[in-house]
Amino acid sequence: MSDTTTGVQVASVGDIEDGEGLRVPAATTGLGADIAVFHDGGAYYALDDTCSHGQASLAEGWVENGEVECPLHAARFCLKSGEPQCMPATLPVAAHRVEVRDGAIWVYPGQRAAG
Amino acid sequence: MNAPRRIAVVGAGLAAVSTCDALRAHGYDGDLVLYSAERGLPYDRPPLSKNVLLGKDRREDVLLRPEQWYDDQRVRLREGTVVRAIRPRPGGVELADGVIEPADRIVLATGGTPRTLPVPGGADPEIRLLRTWEDAQLLRERLLPGTRVAVVGAGLIGAETAAVATTLGCRVTLVDPVGVPLAPVVGDDIATALHDRHRAEGIDVVTAAVDRVERRGRRFLIGLSGYGGTVAADTIVVGIGIRPATQPAEAAGLRVDDGVLVDADRRTSHPAVHAVGDVAREAGRRTRHEHWEAAQRDGEAAARGILGLPATDPVAPWFWSDRHGTRLEAIGTMAQAERTVLRGAVDSGAFLALGLRGERVVAAAAIDRTRDIKTVRRIIDRRVTVDPSALADESTDLRSMLTR
Repeated sequence: MSDTTTGVQVASVGDIEDGEGLRVPAATTGLGADIAVFHDGGAYYALDDTCSHGQASLAEGWVENGEVECPLHAARFCLKSGEPQCMPATLPVAAHRVEVRDGAIWVYPGQRAAG
Repeated sequence: MNAPRRIAVVGAGLAAVSTCDALRAHGYDGDLVLYSAERGLPYDRPPLSKNVLLGKDRREDVLLRPEQWYDDQRVRLREGTVVRAIRPRPGGVELADGVIEPADRIVLATGGTPRTLPVPGGADPEIRLLRTWEDAQLLRERLLPGTRVAVVGAGLIGAETAAVATTLGCRVTLVDPVGVPLAPVVGDDIATALHDRHRAEGIDVVTAAVDRVERRGRRFLIGLSGYGGTVAADTIVVGIGIRPATQPAEAAGLRVDDGVLVDADRRTSHPAVHAVGDVAREAGRRTRHEHWEAAQRDGEAAARGILGLPATDPVAPWFWSDRHGTRLEAIGTMAQAERTVLRGAVDSGAFLALGLRGERVVAAAAIDRTRDIKTVRRIIDRRVTVDPSALADESTDLRSMLTR
């Protein structure tokens, strides 16, 4: 489902457990890239799903304290900004705007997350 | 000691670059010089026995940091510059041409050199080793389809190399004197599954010690003890560990014993010299931690030590290894466990072994259980008390054990 402001409803509140991520395929994001949506302590975030270091899905990563840790080599990224927090990642992943409205989680692919 | 103004980091692997990174992150504003014996930007080593050997990764794909980072962080990279000696007093590093460049703190990140086979013919320069980018290129040239490749040593590097050579169409023999390598680290169940996988992939696994290597024209004949026969090979690659590059430390009179001895802050027996990564051994620990993440953490610890910042909490060591499309990960050392609990079926190929002491998990190893390993690492580091039967029960959520 998408709307005229190019938002995509990716899940409903409750679908993604706290500490988990959900991979939204490129076909849904319309962006040519998969996006991972994360639930961390009641807040939702969206980042490009593919780690900037290796071929790994960040949706499979460990979500905690505002960061996601890549499943392959344990690079950590800030959930808000996508900035790498440690090696081996040296480049950020894109962060996308997320809104929760009426129990639905909307992602705006390509729109920068509010800092 | 006075606050540092000019820090020399000797070496250019992960520990060296991590040290520079952490020094800047913690506000160090003085000179920072990184002495690299090799040419080119510093690179990450794990891919050398994986995607680099496969030809999938190029040099630019494995850089530890992009070129711009050195400018941004004001890290002066001295490529192709060999440090011949360190001079903690009055303070400097001596280069190959005898020039002494001043430094008020020295960080030794000299790593190690691969061990050669300690047998007749074992030092033949045509026997390939794998430590550097150049080593990987030289080995890759030899891994042509149909080539007979003997891999000596079935540890992490050997196992990964054997797997890559198999993928590239070589006929591979894997030689190790130990029947089930890695068992003390990852436990019998995981080690057996890993080693059996080599056979399943068509690798000829030989349990024997090499007692000589002979040249037969451009080929080799490997003599084995405890094994009827010899192994013929077009190419031999040896992965039997490294010798820590302690020479500059020894010459400077620092305490050295299977590595440069350091404290928790990575400080050596000389207060102005730190040592990080593969070359260092923490006093009181039996082994050096020759792993990727340990090198990174060493850099952080040394930077904190140099700047007088409090140390971070220790964490259980972690490593991974990729072979035959599967992933091994281990935390801690299984030999420290009193008993082992398995989670998941061994014949499924993806399972977790947990090593327990009493009601605490002290070590774990897994094949293709990346997420579980992340959970277990936190269970170990947070010293969570566990119910062993729940650990073995796949219907119990591991992560829920963390939040109690």
